[in-house]
Amino acid sequence: MGLYFLFLVLGILMAGFTINSWLDNINKHSPIPFPHITIYFFPEIWHNIMFFASLRYILIFPAIVIIILITNEFTNKTIRQNIVNGMSRQEFLLSKLQLIFLISVLITIILIIGTLIIGMANTSNYTMAMMFNKMSFAGGFFIQIFSFLIFAFFTGFLLRNTGLSIAIFTLYAVIIEPVLYVILKIPPLQPNNVSQFLPINSVVRIVEYPYFPVLKKIMGLNIQEQLSLLDCSVPLIYSAVMIGIVYIVLSRKDL
Amino acid sequence: MEKILSIQGISKKYGHIQAVNGLDIDIFKGQVFGLLGPNGSGKTTTLSILLDLIRKDQGNFEWFGKPPSKESRKRIGSVIESPNFFPYLSARRNLKIVADIKDKPYNDIDEVLKVTGLFERRNDRFKTYSFGMKQRLAVASALLGNPDVLILDEPTNGLDPQGIAQMRDLIKGVADKGITIILASHLLDEVQKICSHVAVLNKGKKLFDGEVSDVLAVSELLEIATTDMILLQKAIADHPDFKSMTRSEDKWLVYFKTPIKAGEVNEFLYKQGIVLTHLSERKRTLEQHFLELLHDNS
Repeated sequence: MGLYFLFLVLGILMAGFTINSWLDNINKHSPIPFPHITIYFFPEIWHNIMFFASLRYILIFPAIVIIILITNEFTNKTIRQNIVNGMSRQEFLLSKLQLIFLISVLITIILIIGTLIIGMANTSNYTMAMMFNKMSFAGGFFIQIFSFLIFAFFTGFLLRNTGLSIAIFTLYAVIIEPVLYVILKIPPLQPNNVSQFLPINSVVRIVEYPYFPVLKKIMGLNIQEQLSLLDCSVPLIYSAVMIGIVYIVLSRKDL
Repeated sequence: MEKILSIQGISKKYGHIQAVNGLDIDIFKGQVFGLLGPNGSGKTTTLSILLDLIRKDQGNFEWFGKPPSKESRKRIGSVIESPNFFPYLSARRNLKIVADIKDKPYNDIDEVLKVTGLFERRNDRFKTYSFGMKQRLAVASALLGNPDVLILDEPTNGLDPQGIAQMRDLIKGVADKGITIILASHLLDEVQKICSHVAVLNKGKKLFDGEVSDVLAVSELLEIATTDMILLQKAIADHPDFKSMTRSEDKWLVYFKTPIKAGEVNEFLYKQGIVLTHLSERKRTLEQHFLELLHDNS
Protein backbone atom coordinates (compact mmCIF):
# COMPACT_ATOMS: atom_id res chain seq x y z
CA MET A 1 0.00 0.00 0.00
CA GLY A 2 2.96 2.26 0.68
CA LEU A 3 4.24 1.46 -2.79
CA TYR A 4 0.87 2.43 -4.19
CA PHE A 5 1.24 5.94 -2.84
CA LEU A 6 4.90 6.11 -3.85
CA PHE A 7 3.89 5.35 -7.42
CA LEU A 8 1.14 7.89 -7.06
CA VAL A 9 3.66 10.60 -6.19
CA LEU A 10 5.88 9.54 -9.11
CA GLY A 11 2.80 9.52 -11.33
CA ILE A 12 1.96 13.09 -10.43
CA LEU A 13 5.56 14.02 -11.11
CA MET A 14 5.57 12.37 -14.53
CA ALA A 15 2.26 13.95 -15.46
CA GLY A 16 3.59 17.37 -14.51
CA PHE A 17 6.77 16.93 -16.58
CA THR A 18 4.80 15.72 -19.56
CA ILE A 19 2.48 18.69 -19.44
CA ASN A 20 5.45 21.04 -19.08
CA SER A 21 7.19 19.55 -22.08
CA TRP A 22 3.99 19.97 -24.09
CA LEU A 23 3.91 23.55 -22.99
CA ASP A 24 7.55 23.94 -24.13
CA ASN A 25 6.53 22.69 -27.55
CA ILE A 26 3.55 24.96 -27.72
CA ASN A 27 5.62 27.92 -26.62
CA LYS A 28 7.96 27.44 -29.56
CA HIS A 29 5.12 28.24 -31.94
CA SER A 30 2.94 30.43 -29.81
CA PRO A 31 3.23 34.20 -29.76
CA ILE A 32 1.96 34.35 -26.17
CA PRO A 33 4.07 32.23 -23.79
CA PHE A 34 2.17 29.81 -21.52
CA PRO A 35 3.67 29.75 -18.07
CA HIS A 36 4.91 26.39 -16.76
CA ILE A 37 2.82 24.58 -14.23
CA THR A 38 4.36 25.20 -10.86
CA ILE A 39 2.74 22.51 -8.78
CA TYR A 40 6.11 21.21 -7.53
CA PHE A 41 7.23 24.38 -5.82
CA PHE A 42 7.41 24.83 -2.10
CA PRO A 43 5.22 25.53 -0.32
CA GLU A 44 2.25 24.85 -2.64
CA ILE A 45 3.51 21.37 -3.39
CA TRP A 46 2.20 20.22 0.01
CA HIS A 47 -1.28 21.25 -0.91
CA ASN A 48 -1.10 19.85 -4.43
CA ILE A 49 0.28 16.41 -3.63
CA MET A 50 -1.97 15.92 -0.61
CA PHE A 51 -4.94 16.95 -2.71
CA PHE A 52 -4.22 14.42 -5.43
CA ALA A 53 -3.50 11.67 -2.93
CA SER A 54 -6.77 12.28 -1.12
CA LEU A 55 -9.10 12.11 -4.11
CA ARG A 56 -11.84 9.62 -3.33
CA TYR A 57 -10.90 7.59 -6.42
CA ILE A 58 -7.46 7.12 -4.99
CA LEU A 59 -8.34 6.55 -1.34
CA ILE A 60 -10.77 3.83 -2.42
CA PHE A 61 -7.93 1.34 -3.08
CA PRO A 62 -6.42 1.22 0.41
CA ALA A 63 -10.03 1.23 1.68
CA ILE A 64 -10.73 -1.95 -0.31
CA VAL A 65 -7.64 -3.56 1.23
CA ILE A 66 -8.97 -2.74 4.70
CA ILE A 67 -12.38 -4.18 3.80
CA ILE A 68 -10.73 -7.40 2.64
CA LEU A 69 -8.67 -7.57 5.84
CA ILE A 70 -11.69 -7.30 8.13
CA THR A 71 -14.15 -9.44 6.15
CA ASN A 72 -11.48 -12.15 5.82
CA GLU A 73 -11.59 -12.47 9.61
CA PHE A 74 -15.25 -13.41 9.28
CA THR A 75 -15.10 -15.57 6.14
CA ASN A 76 -12.09 -17.53 7.43
CA LYS A 77 -13.64 -17.51 10.93
CA THR A 78 -10.25 -16.49 12.31
CA ILE A 79 -12.00 -13.96 14.56
CA ARG A 80 -13.72 -16.88 16.27
CA GLN A 81 -10.48 -18.79 16.57
CA ASN A 82 -8.66 -15.77 17.99
CA ILE A 83 -11.35 -15.21 20.62
CA VAL A 84 -11.34 -18.91 21.52
CA ASN A 85 -7.56 -18.79 21.86
CA GLY A 86 -7.79 -16.09 24.49
CA MET A 87 -8.07 -12.75 22.76
CA SER A 88 -10.78 -10.50 24.19
CA ARG A 89 -13.25 -8.87 21.83
CA GLN A 90 -11.89 -5.46 22.82
CA GLU A 91 -8.34 -6.56 21.99
CA PHE A 92 -9.55 -7.70 18.59
CA LEU A 93 -11.04 -4.29 17.84
CA LEU A 94 -7.95 -2.54 19.17
CA SER A 95 -5.63 -4.64 16.99
CA LYS A 96 -7.58 -3.66 13.86
CA LEU A 97 -7.59 0.02 14.85
CA GLN A 98 -3.84 -0.11 15.47
CA LEU A 99 -3.35 -1.60 12.01
CA ILE A 100 -5.45 1.12 10.37
CA PHE A 101 -3.58 3.79 12.32
CA LEU A 102 -0.20 2.32 11.36
CA ILE A 103 -1.11 2.07 7.68
CA SER A 104 -2.32 5.67 7.70
CA VAL A 105 0.88 6.87 9.38
CA LEU A 106 3.08 4.94 6.93
CA ILE A 107 1.29 6.27 3.87
CA THR A 108 1.46 9.81 5.23
CA ILE A 109 5.19 9.45 5.89
CA ILE A 110 5.81 8.16 2.37
CA LEU A 111 3.92 11.11 0.94
CA ILE A 112 5.86 13.55 3.13
CA ILE A 113 9.20 12.11 2.01
CA GLY A 114 8.07 12.11 -1.62
CA THR A 115 6.89 15.70 -1.35
CA LEU A 116 10.14 16.86 0.25
CA ILE A 117 12.26 15.22 -2.44
CA ILE A 118 10.21 16.50 -5.35
CA GLY A 119 9.91 19.92 -3.79
CA MET A 120 13.65 20.23 -3.24
CA ALA A 121 14.39 19.04 -6.76
CA ASN A 122 12.07 21.55 -8.37
CA THR A 123 12.25 24.66 -6.24
CA SER A 124 15.32 26.69 -7.09
CA ASN A 125 15.61 29.02 -4.12
CA TYR A 126 13.85 27.91 -1.00
CA THR A 127 14.13 28.67 2.67
CA MET A 128 13.29 26.40 5.59
CA ALA A 129 10.22 28.50 6.26
CA MET A 130 9.03 28.01 2.69
CA MET A 131 9.72 24.32 2.84
CA PHE A 132 7.58 23.60 5.86
CA ASN A 133 5.10 26.42 5.53
CA LYS A 134 2.22 24.32 4.31
CA MET A 135 3.21 21.03 5.78
CA SER A 136 -0.01 21.06 7.82
CA PHE A 137 -1.70 19.72 4.69
CA ALA A 138 0.11 16.43 5.39
CA GLY A 139 -1.61 16.37 8.79
CA GLY A 140 -4.89 17.01 7.02
CA PHE A 141 -4.15 14.11 4.69
CA PHE A 142 -3.51 11.84 7.66
CA ILE A 143 -6.97 12.65 9.06
CA GLN A 144 -8.42 12.02 5.61
CA ILE A 145 -6.91 8.61 5.07
CA PHE A 146 -7.44 7.49 8.66
CA SER A 147 -11.14 8.35 8.72
CA PHE A 148 -11.68 7.01 5.21
CA LEU A 149 -10.15 3.68 6.26
CA ILE A 150 -12.27 3.66 9.43
CA PHE A 151 -15.38 4.12 7.25
CA ALA A 152 -14.24 1.13 5.17
CA PHE A 153 -13.57 -0.92 8.32
CA PHE A 154 -17.05 -0.03 9.60
CA THR A 155 -18.69 -1.17 6.37
CA GLY A 156 -16.73 -4.42 6.25
CA PHE A 157 -17.41 -5.17 9.91
CA LEU A 158 -21.16 -4.69 9.65
CA LEU A 159 -21.65 -6.53 6.34
CA ARG A 160 -19.06 -9.29 6.97
CA ASN A 161 -19.11 -10.20 3.27
CA THR A 162 -16.12 -9.16 1.15
CA GLY A 163 -17.78 -8.68 -2.24
CA LEU A 164 -20.87 -7.01 -0.87
CA SER A 165 -18.86 -4.63 1.33
CA ILE A 166 -16.54 -3.56 -1.47
CA ALA A 167 -19.46 -3.05 -3.85
CA ILE A 168 -21.57 -1.06 -1.41
CA PHE A 169 -18.67 1.03 -0.11
CA THR A 170 -17.39 1.90 -3.59
CA LEU A 171 -20.87 2.57 -4.90
CA TYR A 172 -21.62 4.85 -1.98
CA ALA A 173 -18.33 6.73 -1.99
CA VAL A 174 -18.06 7.24 -5.73
CA ILE A 175 -21.66 7.45 -6.97
CA ILE A 176 -24.38 7.62 -4.31
CA GLU A 177 -22.85 10.31 -2.15
CA PRO A 178 -21.92 12.69 -4.98
CA VAL A 179 -25.51 12.37 -6.23
CA LEU A 180 -26.86 12.88 -2.74
CA TYR A 181 -24.58 15.89 -2.40
CA VAL A 182 -26.16 17.53 -5.40
CA ILE A 183 -29.71 16.57 -4.43
CA LEU A 184 -29.31 18.00 -0.95
CA LYS A 185 -28.15 21.24 -2.50
CA ILE A 186 -31.36 21.70 -4.47
CA PRO A 187 -33.02 24.80 -2.97
CA PRO A 188 -36.09 23.50 -1.07
CA LEU A 189 -34.08 20.76 0.59
CA GLN A 190 -31.08 22.71 1.71
CA PRO A 191 -31.42 25.46 4.24
CA ASN A 192 -27.76 25.63 5.25
CA ASN A 193 -25.48 23.38 3.28
CA VAL A 194 -26.16 20.03 4.96
CA SER A 195 -24.49 18.23 2.09
CA GLN A 196 -21.00 19.22 3.16
CA PHE A 197 -21.44 17.06 6.25
CA LEU A 198 -22.01 13.83 4.32
CA PRO A 199 -19.34 11.40 5.56
CA ILE A 200 -17.23 10.95 2.44
CA ASN A 201 -17.51 14.59 1.49
CA SER A 202 -16.50 15.64 4.99
CA VAL A 203 -13.28 13.71 4.40
CA VAL A 204 -12.65 14.99 0.89
CA ARG A 205 -13.21 18.64 1.73
CA ILE A 206 -10.40 18.82 4.32
CA VAL A 207 -7.89 19.46 1.54
CA GLU A 208 -9.72 21.49 -1.06
CA TYR A 209 -9.09 21.80 -4.76
CA PRO A 210 -5.76 23.56 -5.17
CA TYR A 211 -6.45 26.33 -7.66
CA PHE A 212 -3.04 26.55 -9.17
CA PRO A 213 -1.33 29.88 -8.65
CA VAL A 214 -1.56 30.41 -12.39
CA LEU A 215 -5.29 30.01 -12.35
CA LYS A 216 -5.45 32.23 -9.34
CA LYS A 217 -3.71 34.96 -11.23
CA ILE A 218 -5.88 34.47 -14.28
CA MET A 219 -9.24 33.96 -12.68
CA GLY A 220 -8.81 35.54 -9.29
CA LEU A 221 -10.13 32.52 -7.37
CA ASN A 222 -9.48 31.97 -3.71
CA ILE A 223 -6.99 29.31 -2.69
CA GLN A 224 -7.39 27.45 0.56
CA GLU A 225 -4.48 28.77 2.61
CA GLN A 226 -4.79 26.63 5.72
CA LEU A 227 -6.87 23.75 7.02
CA SER A 228 -10.06 24.49 8.87
CA LEU A 229 -10.47 23.02 12.33
CA LEU A 230 -14.17 22.33 11.78
CA ASP A 231 -13.47 20.44 8.54
CA CYS A 232 -10.88 18.30 10.29
CA SER A 233 -13.08 17.45 13.24
CA VAL A 234 -16.19 16.31 11.31
CA PRO A 235 -14.66 13.08 9.90
CA LEU A 236 -12.99 12.38 13.23
CA ILE A 237 -16.39 12.62 14.93
CA TYR A 238 -17.80 10.23 12.32
CA SER A 239 -14.90 7.84 13.00
CA ALA A 240 -15.46 7.97 16.75
CA VAL A 241 -19.17 7.21 16.34
CA MET A 242 -18.41 4.31 13.99
CA ILE A 243 -15.79 2.84 16.30
CA GLY A 244 -18.33 3.15 19.13
CA ILE A 245 -20.96 1.28 17.14
CA VAL A 246 -18.47 -1.47 16.21
CA TYR A 247 -17.49 -1.74 19.89
CA ILE A 248 -21.09 -2.16 21.04
CA VAL A 249 -22.00 -4.62 18.28
CA LEU A 250 -18.82 -6.64 18.87
CA SER A 251 -19.40 -6.81 22.63
CA ARG A 252 -22.99 -7.99 22.37
CA LYS A 253 -23.23 -10.11 19.26
CA ASP A 254 -22.65 -13.83 18.82
CA LEU A 255 -19.72 -14.57 16.57
CA MET B 1 -10.91 -32.75 43.59
CA GLU B 2 -10.32 -29.47 41.78
CA LYS B 3 -13.33 -28.19 39.93
CA ILE B 4 -12.41 -27.17 36.39
CA LEU B 5 -15.76 -26.03 35.10
CA SER B 6 -19.03 -25.33 36.78
CA ILE B 7 -22.11 -24.45 34.77
CA GLN B 8 -25.23 -23.20 36.51
CA GLY B 9 -28.45 -23.00 34.56
CA ILE B 10 -27.23 -21.49 31.29
CA SER B 11 -29.84 -20.91 28.57
CA LYS B 12 -29.69 -19.64 25.03
CA LYS B 13 -32.50 -18.92 22.62
CA TYR B 14 -32.17 -18.36 18.86
CA GLY B 15 -35.42 -16.68 17.89
CA HIS B 16 -38.04 -19.11 19.12
CA ILE B 17 -35.69 -22.08 19.24
CA GLN B 18 -34.43 -22.94 22.69
CA ALA B 19 -30.93 -24.19 21.93
CA VAL B 20 -29.77 -24.58 25.53
CA ASN B 21 -32.24 -24.82 28.36
CA GLY B 22 -31.12 -24.43 31.98
CA LEU B 23 -28.01 -26.57 31.75
CA ASP B 24 -26.08 -27.53 34.90
CA ILE B 25 -22.78 -29.38 34.60
CA ASP B 26 -19.74 -29.77 36.85
CA ILE B 27 -16.47 -31.02 35.48
CA PHE B 28 -13.51 -31.99 37.64
CA LYS B 29 -9.80 -32.20 36.99
CA GLY B 30 -8.64 -35.24 35.07
CA GLN B 31 -12.05 -36.23 33.75
CA VAL B 32 -12.64 -37.03 30.11
CA PHE B 33 -16.09 -35.57 29.92
CA GLY B 34 -18.38 -36.41 27.03
CA LEU B 35 -21.29 -34.24 25.95
CA LEU B 36 -23.49 -36.72 24.18
CA GLY B 37 -26.57 -35.86 22.21
CA PRO B 38 -28.12 -36.01 18.76
CA ASN B 39 -27.54 -33.21 16.23
CA GLY B 40 -29.20 -30.02 17.39
CA SER B 41 -29.20 -30.96 21.05
CA GLY B 42 -27.19 -27.87 22.03
CA LYS B 43 -23.69 -29.31 22.36
CA THR B 44 -21.93 -26.83 20.10
CA THR B 45 -23.94 -23.90 21.44
CA THR B 46 -22.94 -24.86 24.97
CA LEU B 47 -19.26 -25.06 24.07
CA SER B 48 -19.49 -21.76 22.17
CA ILE B 49 -20.97 -20.07 25.24
CA LEU B 50 -18.17 -21.49 27.38
CA LEU B 51 -15.61 -19.97 24.97
CA ASP B 52 -17.24 -16.53 24.71
CA LEU B 53 -18.24 -16.97 21.08
CA ILE B 54 -21.94 -16.84 21.92
CA ARG B 55 -23.60 -14.74 24.60
CA LYS B 56 -25.75 -16.67 27.04
CA ASP B 57 -29.24 -15.43 27.86
CA GLN B 58 -29.29 -16.71 31.42
CA GLY B 59 -27.22 -18.57 33.94
CA ASN B 60 -23.60 -18.55 34.95
CA PHE B 61 -20.46 -20.51 34.48
CA GLU B 62 -17.01 -20.51 36.01
CA TRP B 63 -13.69 -21.74 34.68
CA PHE B 64 -11.16 -22.81 37.32
CA GLY B 65 -13.40 -21.34 40.03
CA LYS B 66 -13.34 -17.84 38.52
CA PRO B 67 -15.69 -15.91 36.25
CA PRO B 68 -14.78 -16.51 32.58
CA SER B 69 -12.17 -14.18 31.09
CA LYS B 70 -9.61 -14.13 28.32
CA GLU B 71 -7.08 -15.39 30.87
CA SER B 72 -9.11 -18.52 31.50
CA ARG B 73 -9.41 -19.11 27.76
CA LYS B 74 -5.63 -19.01 27.44
CA ARG B 75 -5.53 -22.14 29.61
CA ILE B 76 -7.96 -23.96 27.33
CA GLY B 77 -7.13 -25.57 24.00
CA SER B 78 -10.13 -25.91 21.70
CA VAL B 79 -11.14 -27.48 18.45
CA ILE B 80 -14.55 -26.08 17.60
CA GLU B 81 -16.35 -27.15 14.42
CA SER B 82 -14.17 -26.58 11.36
CA PRO B 83 -10.46 -25.74 11.66
CA ASN B 84 -10.09 -21.96 11.33
CA PHE B 85 -6.72 -20.61 10.26
CA PHE B 86 -5.32 -17.95 7.97
CA PRO B 87 -5.32 -19.80 4.62
CA TYR B 88 -2.39 -17.89 3.13
CA LEU B 89 -0.03 -18.58 6.06
CA SER B 90 1.97 -21.73 6.80
CA ALA B 91 1.21 -24.06 9.70
CA ARG B 92 4.14 -22.63 11.63
CA ARG B 93 3.11 -19.03 11.09
CA ASN B 94 -0.45 -19.84 12.12
CA LEU B 95 0.75 -21.53 15.29
CA LYS B 96 3.01 -18.58 16.08
CA ILE B 97 -0.05 -16.34 16.01
CA VAL B 98 -1.84 -18.75 18.35
CA ALA B 99 1.19 -18.78 20.66
CA ASP B 100 1.28 -14.97 20.64
CA ILE B 101 -2.38 -14.74 21.62
CA LYS B 102 -2.00 -17.34 24.34
CA ASP B 103 1.21 -15.78 25.71
CA LYS B 104 3.05 -19.06 25.20
CA PRO B 105 6.62 -19.54 23.96
CA TYR B 106 7.38 -20.73 20.42
CA ASN B 107 9.41 -23.79 21.57
CA ASP B 108 6.29 -25.94 21.71
CA ILE B 109 5.39 -25.40 18.06
CA ASP B 110 7.67 -28.05 16.56
CA GLU B 111 6.67 -30.46 19.31
CA VAL B 112 2.91 -30.23 18.66
CA LEU B 113 3.50 -30.41 14.91
CA LYS B 114 5.40 -33.65 15.42
CA VAL B 115 2.74 -35.10 17.72
CA THR B 116 0.08 -34.44 15.09
CA GLY B 117 2.26 -35.64 12.22
CA LEU B 118 2.46 -32.31 10.42
CA PHE B 119 6.11 -31.51 10.96
CA GLU B 120 7.10 -32.38 7.38
CA ARG B 121 4.52 -29.96 6.00
CA ARG B 122 5.10 -27.20 8.55
CA ASN B 123 6.12 -24.57 6.01
CA ASP B 124 3.29 -25.18 3.55
CA ARG B 125 0.36 -22.83 3.37
CA PHE B 126 -2.73 -23.88 5.31
CA LYS B 127 -4.90 -23.82 2.21
CA THR B 128 -2.85 -26.58 0.57
CA TYR B 129 -3.74 -29.03 3.39
CA SER B 130 -6.19 -31.89 3.11
CA PHE B 131 -9.17 -31.91 5.46
CA GLY B 132 -7.56 -34.47 7.76
CA MET B 133 -4.41 -32.35 8.01
CA LYS B 134 -6.43 -29.21 8.74
CA GLN B 135 -8.21 -31.04 11.52
CA ARG B 136 -4.87 -32.22 12.92
CA LEU B 137 -3.47 -28.70 12.77
CA ALA B 138 -6.48 -27.58 14.80
CA VAL B 139 -5.59 -30.20 17.39
CA ALA B 140 -1.94 -29.10 17.26
CA SER B 141 -3.01 -25.53 17.94
CA ALA B 142 -5.22 -26.70 20.81
CA LEU B 143 -2.32 -28.61 22.35
CA LEU B 144 0.04 -25.64 22.12
CA GLY B 145 1.49 -24.51 25.43
CA ASN B 146 0.21 -27.42 27.54
CA PRO B 147 -3.40 -26.40 28.18
CA ASP B 148 -5.16 -27.43 31.39
CA VAL B 149 -8.30 -28.30 29.48
CA LEU B 150 -8.88 -29.54 25.96
CA ILE B 151 -12.25 -28.90 24.33
CA LEU B 152 -13.08 -31.01 21.28
CA ASP B 153 -16.24 -30.59 19.28
CA GLU B 154 -16.92 -33.62 17.06
CA PRO B 155 -13.18 -34.19 16.58
CA THR B 156 -13.60 -37.21 14.32
CA ASN B 157 -16.30 -35.70 12.14
CA GLY B 158 -15.46 -36.03 8.46
CA LEU B 159 -12.28 -38.06 9.00
CA ASP B 160 -11.58 -41.38 7.33
CA PRO B 161 -11.33 -44.54 9.48
CA GLN B 162 -7.58 -44.24 9.77
CA GLY B 163 -7.89 -40.59 10.73
CA ILE B 164 -10.51 -41.46 13.34
CA ALA B 165 -8.23 -44.07 14.88
CA GLN B 166 -5.28 -41.62 14.95
CA MET B 167 -7.45 -38.93 16.49
CA ARG B 168 -8.68 -41.27 19.22
CA ASP B 169 -5.16 -42.38 20.04
CA LEU B 170 -4.13 -38.75 20.23
CA ILE B 171 -6.98 -37.93 22.61
CA LYS B 172 -6.19 -40.93 24.79
CA GLY B 173 -2.55 -39.88 24.90
CA VAL B 174 -3.58 -36.41 26.07
CA ALA B 175 -5.97 -37.84 28.65
CA ASP B 176 -3.20 -40.07 30.00
CA LYS B 177 -1.17 -36.95 30.77
CA GLY B 178 -3.93 -35.91 33.14
CA ILE B 179 -5.31 -33.10 31.00
CA THR B 180 -9.04 -32.61 31.44
CA ILE B 181 -10.93 -33.16 28.20
CA ILE B 182 -14.40 -32.03 27.24
CA LEU B 183 -15.62 -33.83 24.15
CA ALA B 184 -18.87 -33.22 22.31
CA SER B 185 -20.10 -36.02 20.13
CA HIS B 186 -23.21 -37.58 18.71
CA LEU B 187 -21.47 -40.94 18.51
CA LEU B 188 -22.15 -43.15 21.49
CA ASP B 189 -19.45 -45.52 20.54
CA GLU B 190 -16.91 -42.68 20.59
CA VAL B 191 -17.99 -41.44 23.99
CA GLN B 192 -17.95 -44.94 25.39
CA LYS B 193 -14.46 -45.62 24.06
CA ILE B 194 -12.87 -42.35 25.14
CA CYS B 195 -14.78 -40.78 28.02
CA SER B 196 -14.82 -41.39 31.74
CA HIS B 197 -17.85 -39.20 32.42
CA VAL B 198 -20.79 -38.21 30.28
CA ALA B 199 -23.76 -35.87 30.19
CA VAL B 200 -26.54 -36.74 27.79
CA LEU B 201 -28.25 -33.75 26.19
CA ASN B 202 -31.46 -33.53 24.24
CA LYS B 203 -33.17 -30.36 23.04
CA GLY B 204 -30.85 -28.24 25.16
CA LYS B 205 -31.64 -30.09 28.38
CA LYS B 206 -29.48 -32.43 30.36
CA LEU B 207 -31.17 -35.81 30.68
CA PHE B 208 -28.61 -37.12 33.15
CA ASP B 209 -24.91 -37.32 33.79
CA GLY B 210 -22.45 -39.50 35.62
CA GLU B 211 -19.70 -42.00 35.01
CA VAL B 212 -19.83 -43.65 31.62
CA SER B 213 -19.92 -47.12 33.16
CA ASP B 214 -22.92 -46.15 35.28
CA VAL B 215 -24.87 -44.29 32.67
CA LEU B 216 -24.28 -46.19 29.51
CA ALA B 217 -23.16 -49.69 30.30
CA VAL B 218 -25.66 -50.65 32.97
CA SER B 219 -28.15 -53.43 32.72
CA GLU B 220 -31.72 -52.77 33.59
CA LEU B 221 -32.86 -56.09 32.27
CA LEU B 222 -32.36 -59.39 34.07
CA GLU B 223 -33.15 -62.95 33.03
CA ILE B 224 -34.21 -65.04 36.01
CA ALA B 225 -35.59 -68.52 36.50
CA THR B 226 -36.33 -70.91 39.38
CA THR B 227 -38.35 -74.02 39.97
CA ASP B 228 -41.52 -72.21 41.04
CA MET B 229 -42.04 -69.56 38.41
CA ILE B 230 -45.38 -68.32 39.84
CA LEU B 231 -43.89 -67.66 43.25
CA LEU B 232 -40.98 -65.87 41.62
CA GLN B 233 -43.34 -63.65 39.66
CA LYS B 234 -45.03 -62.49 42.88
CA ALA B 235 -41.77 -62.00 44.75
CA ILE B 236 -39.99 -59.94 42.12
CA ALA B 237 -43.02 -57.69 41.65
CA ASP B 238 -42.44 -56.47 45.23
CA HIS B 239 -38.96 -55.21 44.42
CA PRO B 240 -38.95 -51.38 44.77
CA ASP B 241 -37.38 -50.83 41.33
CA PHE B 242 -39.58 -53.32 39.51
CA LYS B 243 -41.01 -52.03 36.22
CA SER B 244 -42.42 -54.92 34.17
CA MET B 245 -41.76 -58.50 33.22
CA THR B 246 -42.40 -60.90 30.37
CA ARG B 247 -42.16 -64.66 30.03
CA SER B 248 -39.59 -65.93 27.62
CA GLU B 249 -39.77 -69.71 27.37
CA ASP B 250 -38.72 -70.98 30.78
CA LYS B 251 -37.37 -67.63 32.05
CA TRP B 252 -38.72 -64.29 33.22
CA LEU B 253 -37.33 -61.15 31.58
CA VAL B 254 -37.56 -58.47 34.24
CA TYR B 255 -37.25 -54.75 33.52
CA PHE B 256 -36.24 -52.36 36.26
CA LYS B 257 -36.84 -48.62 36.54
CA THR B 258 -33.24 -47.85 37.48
CA PRO B 259 -29.91 -49.48 36.85
CA ILE B 260 -29.63 -52.52 39.02
CA LYS B 261 -26.99 -55.09 39.91
CA ALA B 262 -27.67 -58.77 39.52
CA GLY B 263 -26.24 -59.60 42.95
CA GLU B 264 -28.63 -57.23 44.66
CA VAL B 265 -31.65 -58.92 43.06
CA ASN B 266 -30.32 -62.33 44.00
CA GLU B 267 -29.96 -61.27 47.62
CA PHE B 268 -33.46 -59.74 47.60
CA LEU B 269 -35.01 -62.97 46.33
CA TYR B 270 -32.94 -65.18 48.60
CA LYS B 271 -34.28 -63.33 51.63
CA GLN B 272 -37.75 -64.30 50.47
CA GLY B 273 -36.73 -67.91 50.30
CA ILE B 274 -36.29 -68.20 46.57
CA VAL B 275 -33.19 -69.84 45.19
CA LEU B 276 -32.59 -68.93 41.57
CA THR B 277 -31.61 -71.56 39.08
CA HIS B 278 -30.77 -68.98 36.46
CA LEU B 279 -29.68 -65.36 36.69
CA SER B 280 -28.08 -63.31 33.95
CA GLU B 281 -27.76 -59.70 32.90
CA ARG B 282 -29.06 -59.05 29.46
CA LYS B 283 -27.12 -56.11 28.02
CA ARG B 284 -29.03 -54.05 25.58
CA THR B 285 -26.95 -52.45 22.90
CA LEU B 286 -25.84 -48.92 23.67
CA GLU B 287 -27.74 -47.54 20.73
CA GLN B 288 -30.94 -49.11 21.98
CA HIS B 289 -30.28 -47.73 25.40
CA PHE B 290 -29.49 -44.26 24.11
CA LEU B 291 -32.54 -44.11 21.89
CA GLU B 292 -34.74 -45.25 24.77
CA LEU B 293 -33.29 -42.55 26.97
CA LEU B 294 -34.05 -39.90 24.41
CA HIS B 295 -37.47 -41.33 23.79
CA ASP B 296 -38.45 -41.47 27.44
CA ASN B 297 -37.56 -37.83 27.95
CA SER B 298 -38.97 -36.21 24.86
